[in-house]
Amino acid sequence: MAEIAQTAASRSIARRSPWGDLFRKEDWWAIWIGLGLIAVAVALFAGGGSIKWIAVAPQKWSHLADVTLQLKQHGPQYAALFVLWSVSFGIGAAALGIKISRFLPAFLLIYLAAGSIYFLGLWDQAAHYNLEPPLVALGLGLLVSNTLGVPRWLDPGLRVEFYIKTGIVLLGASLPLTLIAWAGPVAIVQAAIVSLATFGVIYFAAVRLGLDRRLAATLGTGGAVCGVSGAIAVGGAVGAKKEEVSVAISLVVFWAIVMIFVLPLVARALSLSTGVAGAWIGTSEFADAAGLAAAQTYGGYAGNVAGIAGNPDAAVSAFTLMKVIGRDMWIGVWAFVLSLIATARWERTGIQSKSRAAEIWNRFPKFVLGFIVASAVVTLVARGFDYPAYKKEVVPALVAPLQAFRTWAFTFAFLSIGLTTRIREFASIGARPLVAFTIGVLVNVVLGFVLSTQVFNEFWNRLGQ
Amino acid sequence: MSPPALPACLACKHFKHAPAELEAALPGLSSLSSAYAAVRADDGICAVHQRYVTSTSVCPAFA
Repeated sequence: MAEIAQTAASRSIARRSPWGDLFRKEDWWAIWIGLGLIAVAVALFAGGGSIKWIAVAPQKWSHLADVTLQLKQHGPQYAALFVLWSVSFGIGAAALGIKISRFLPAFLLIYLAAGSIYFLGLWDQAAHYNLEPPLVALGLGLLVSNTLGVPRWLDPGLRVEFYIKTGIVLLGASLPLTLIAWAGPVAIVQAAIVSLATFGVIYFAAVRLGLDRRLAATLGTGGAVCGVSGAIAVGGAVGAKKEEVSVAISLVVFWAIVMIFVLPLVARALSLSTGVAGAWIGTSEFADAAGLAAAQTYGGYAGNVAGIAGNPDAAVSAFTLMKVIGRDMWIGVWAFVLSLIATARWERTGIQSKSRAAEIWNRFPKFVLGFIVASAVVTLVARGFDYPAYKKEVVPALVAPLQAFRTWAFTFAFLSIGLTTRIREFASIGARPLVAFTIGVLVNVVLGFVLSTQVFNEFWNRLGQ
Repeated sequence: MSPPALPACLACKHFKHAPAELEAALPGLSSLSSAYAAVRADDGICAVHQRYVTSTSVCPAFA
């Protein structure tokens, strides 16, 4: 060990400053972009103006001529919005090490495709043909990436997590802080029950099937906590083999994509309210981006599909509370506890790992902070308004434009999911990991359903109203 | 006072932790997560042991 220290000292590497993460992690860039937009919106609102000119979004249309008219009338706004997103995401991407000259051409195509999908979703026949924008974005992306293939020059623009985290920070602006405080504890309780049960089932099924404990833990966290992010956090903390992390990633992506289609379909067949369905999706989906695609799809049914009660935004709100507050926030704790167990109890790997409580903060998904700050800021701004004044003044001038920004960011993400998912990569999943994970998926989906529709249903219904 | 030296994977030539390198090595990572995410911390792949480890790990193969 002394030799190791001596060799290391000769290479003498300085510990990185924790402040460096403020500019080299996309969580922080999502915060800077999301809160930056909110700050500008609030400043304009305080001065009697609004950011709505640039927060342009398609309106309902019946004929293609309507689309042409909208584009003619709002062309400069769409161009300005492109510049705004390009500058915001471009600076972030450059700070992360992605060349801006490679990012911008790719982002232009993403913007144009996302805009087309956004327009399609506003067609007055879209619901009739099941053309919900998240599903169209995902389906189109999957089709292109798995048939024609995605050209390499497009890769720098396909940043699913960057877009989705920025969208989640912006989402905070439409959720009052009082709602987060009211619903957060219930979300944490429900998520904790499902997370512990799902982890336990996957872990013990995997061990029973003869899989390594490190793989079992990586699979378990991927299914129980926060999908691919959970798998890489715990995979690193316990020192899993590289191919084990790959297997866990493929399994999570496979089931997350399946659930984007299955959960809204089943919830729709059962006519669940938007709040209840959002809570179920938040409990039983495996990744933020995938879950938001499912939740936004379901929210779109409200008012368009008979029998589905609740306001459209409740599905996304309930999902976010359940997934972000109930599950994502705790990934550092899972990683720390499992690293302690791995170090103390599991077979040696030839690599000595140190379990440090500081990892809880290191791995904390920082964009959650942006989400909460965004909520606090808009709640504070809205304090001086009674409900009718809030609906009449604050919503159109402040909240609705920020919702439009959020929908754009989410659409960039949904499209990027499809374009980065290669179905052939699922072929590398072995039978035993597939069985262990699938047992966990079934338990997760059933338990999440029972808790959302039976145990806490009144609570989630109220959220939707 | 300068920060302490680290006898750890972060300084090892076998440790691959650049985000772009990781996303290439772990297919699907960028579909629903990211190597630039805070949850990854500075974890990376040890080319000797073919394991995904924390940057503060140590081993006799350090180089």
